[in-house]
Amino acid sequence: MTLRVLVVEDDHEIRSLMQSSLSVEGFDVQTAVSVSEARVLLLHALPDLMVLDLGLPDGDGAALVQEVRKQHSLPILVVSARHQETQKVQLLDAGADDYLTKPFSVAELLARIRVALRHRGTALAAAVTVHELDDFRVDLTLHSVQGRGQALHLTPTEFKLLARLVRSAGRVVTHRQLLTDVWGAEFTEHTHYLRLYMGQLRAKIEQDPAEPRHLLTETGVGYRLAVD
Amino acid sequence: MTMKSSQAPVIQRHSMQSWGTVLLLLAAATGGGFLLDHHVSLTSQAMVYVLAVVVASYSLRWQQSVVCAIAAVTAFNFFFVPPRWTFEVESQENLIALFTMLLLALVISHLSAGLRRETEIALLNARRATQLQELATGLSEITSAPEIMTLGQGALDSAFEGPNILALRHFDGKLELPEGLSPSVADGLQCCMREVAVLGPGTGRWPGLGAWYIPLGDKSQMNGAACIQPALAGDTSAREHAQALCTLLGQSLLRLDLADSMRIAKNEAQRQQLQNTYLAAISHDLRTPLAAVVGAASSLQTQRDKLSQEEQDRLLASIVSEATYLCNVTENTLQLVRLANASQQIKRDWESMEEIVGAVLGRVRQRDPDRRIKSKVPEGLPLIKADPVLLTQLIGNLLDNALKYSADSIDLTVNVTDRELQVAVKDRGPEIPAEKYSSIFELYARDDLSGQRGVGLGLALCRAIATAHGGTLTLRRRTGGGNSFTFSMPIEANQPEGMRP
Repeated sequence: MTLRVLVVEDDHEIRSLMQSSLSVEGFDVQTAVSVSEARVLLLHALPDLMVLDLGLPDGDGAALVQEVRKQHSLPILVVSARHQETQKVQLLDAGADDYLTKPFSVAELLARIRVALRHRGTALAAAVTVHELDDFRVDLTLHSVQGRGQALHLTPTEFKLLARLVRSAGRVVTHRQLLTDVWGAEFTEHTHYLRLYMGQLRAKIEQDPAEPRHLLTETGVGYRLAVD
Repeated sequence: MTMKSSQAPVIQRHSMQSWGTVLLLLAAATGGGFLLDHHVSLTSQAMVYVLAVVVASYSLRWQQSVVCAIAAVTAFNFFFVPPRWTFEVESQENLIALFTMLLLALVISHLSAGLRRETEIALLNARRATQLQELATGLSEITSAPEIMTLGQGALDSAFEGPNILALRHFDGKLELPEGLSPSVADGLQCCMREVAVLGPGTGRWPGLGAWYIPLGDKSQMNGAACIQPALAGDTSAREHAQALCTLLGQSLLRLDLADSMRIAKNEAQRQQLQNTYLAAISHDLRTPLAAVVGAASSLQTQRDKLSQEEQDRLLASIVSEATYLCNVTENTLQLVRLANASQQIKRDWESMEEIVGAVLGRVRQRDPDRRIKSKVPEGLPLIKADPVLLTQLIGNLLDNALKYSADSIDLTVNVTDRELQVAVKDRGPEIPAEKYSSIFELYARDDLSGQRGVGLGLALCRAIATAHGGTLTLRRRTGGGNSFTFSMPIEANQPEGMRP
């Protein structure tokens, strides 16, 4: 079955670049130049993934993300320029799955799409419970973490934090999402908790905590557990 | 220092006292006369009265001294001239003596009053000269118009009863008049501004006015006007003093105005100079990579069939790297413009330097395939209040520069002192000469050591980011050769609760 991707992008060059490079990879690509056109296409037929550009001429990508999230679990990839930091985080908090910063390479785009599709349907089916990369292995059901050639002992909070990242492995998880899911909704402003516990986790998991291989920082946005 | 030219309210207070003095003097003279009675001649007794008249006319105003003279003669006649205890005069000789005495008393009174007046004028002039000198000294240290006005107002008020009004010319040419000013005074000030001349009593212009109106400045540059009261037509010296004060104020305002215009002109010239340099440099920085991109792309477009696979790959790689470089220049320029907008406060949150370094390395390693960058980050760093995106850009720019300019390994170290966190990037590349240590951080004061591009902008941004974090970015010679860039920023004394178990 061919996977369908909806690309919402107002810039002609970037739209046709994405269309051709995704078509080459075997995707069935639909394009829209505005939020309203995207709405119409979404009503007509649901794609398997949506790539959504920030700053469309007719308005708010965030509203579209919220609408789609109410009914569907299709992965949404946000594409933003670097100065759209806050907007991007808002969309991720509203339920977008991942983001790409302009300018990006086609390789990055494809990698993000692969990860997003891997998680497709995780909201309905059983969630990811095992993560493995190099010698680092996490099994959430067995509550076991192995790394650097040995079994690692994590505190309950450290484990909860790691588990949250494992469930979204390869995708960015925003500060707000992590704080809400691990500590609770009233702790969304306590970003220093994240700095502390991520530091502790890295010290246990990483060979070189100052140049992490697994627990990656998405500056100003959140964290990502590396999958390749 | 006060020296009112008019003493109207003072007179009331002093007049009772001076009449008392007259009485006292006469009583003393009479008492003296009685003490000397039978011991000396009548002439000598008269001299005692003359003495009282002299004292009175030197120390009191002339009305009192004349009254004192007449009363002294009368009293002498009453108490001592035979027949005593009457106003009658027995002998013609005594009558002549009395008249002589009266005349003498009046002449003395007149002379000493004149002498006193001259002394007062001399004193007043001396004080006025001192005041002018003090005002000139005070004005020479002043750097703003309101300060000049305050000092000027003080000087006028101490020299003249007032109310004295100082009005400054607004930059739109209108006078800034204080609230609730009477229309006649306002008119006078406006007219004085228009005519650029002193108006009021004794000046020959508008003598009917109740005050002197004096311009601040001259025909070439009017800076305001003053209204000074009271104004007496005959009091030339007071008017001259007022004019002298106003001339000083006018000159000071003019000096300030000139300094302002000079500063504005200088700033404008500097701004244009900077803009030109900036535009020239940025267009150079953009044009060169653009030329490379267009060249490589057009070559692929028209000659692809003739190019070997290797050459095609090389052209493609060049397009990607030049375009990436353009992105960096654009990003740095935008960020610099954003930071230059001082009103925009940067967003700061608790951040971990270990994490920031990790994120930078993750990005920079793509351009560092040989892993020349060696990082050393100690454990247990305190958290800092920072904008992580900006700090990533700062450290990233420093590492990019080091990679470009040196061929050896590069050290990235983080250190903590009592109150500061320091991040250092040290290379073994060609040393930057010491005289460029400060200019290298200026916009487009690029160091052309190896003909690389875009350093000026990058370092200017780095320093702007350091400053925005209350920190510093410095360049030092590295021991053993090379350069060492150090970014230092303060550590918050109050770390967030629950930190560092």
